[in-house]
Amino acid sequence: MAKRITNNIRRLRFDADEMTQQMLADVVGVSRQTIVAIEKGKYSPSLEVAFKIAEYFNVPLEVVFQYQ
Amino acid sequence: MSYKERSIWVSLAITLYIWFNYFSELYWAIQQDSLTISSMKSALFTVVTMTIALEILHHIVIAIIDNKNTNYDEDERDKQISLLGSQSAYYLLSFTTIAAVLHLLFPLMSQGLVDILNLPSEYAIINIIIFGALTAEVTKFSTQIFYYRRGF
Repeated sequence: MAKRITNNIRRLRFDADEMTQQMLADVVGVSRQTIVAIEKGKYSPSLEVAFKIAEYFNVPLEVVFQYQ
Repeated sequence: MSYKERSIWVSLAITLYIWFNYFSELYWAIQQDSLTISSMKSALFTVVTMTIALEILHHIVIAIIDNKNTNYDEDERDKQISLLGSQSAYYLLSFTTIAAVLHLLFPLMSQGLVDILNLPSEYAIINIIIFGALTAEVTKFSTQIFYYRRGF
């Protein structure tokens, strides 16, 4: 089976006081729809956005995104 | 649905509406054998004015409905989707350009079209290019909507 990129953004948002998608979008500098698409696995963000998300949650990149 | 996606849906609807009117007008003129250069010019003028008016109206209405996002800048996903749309439109437009050049170089190949339109050859070329540009525009919007809906 082909590998794909998955992510834990939904859980990380939940752990961060149930942060909203809009708040994360504002922090990262994308639209809320882009965060929705990333969470659903419909869009793989650029490295820059991926690092910004990881930096915001203060976790390594591989905690946010996995290639499996 | 994002501001950008909503805007694309409306632009697609406007494009289809205006050009459906244009080609149906052309079709009926051909059927009634009343297609002249002036009637075609008038139909094209209507297309241009309607496009400008409806696009302005479209932006005003969307800005009123979704005023929070009026100044929204494209993010990386919007830009990628926009590029994918432009890419597919480019292929169609290139094909049309080649078709128009072939029509110029080998008029016999498209003699049927000239006979149907019953207009000078340059007007047949104009319609080939218009049809290609329209198809490219519709393809661009459709591709963008497809990627917004399905993801990539």
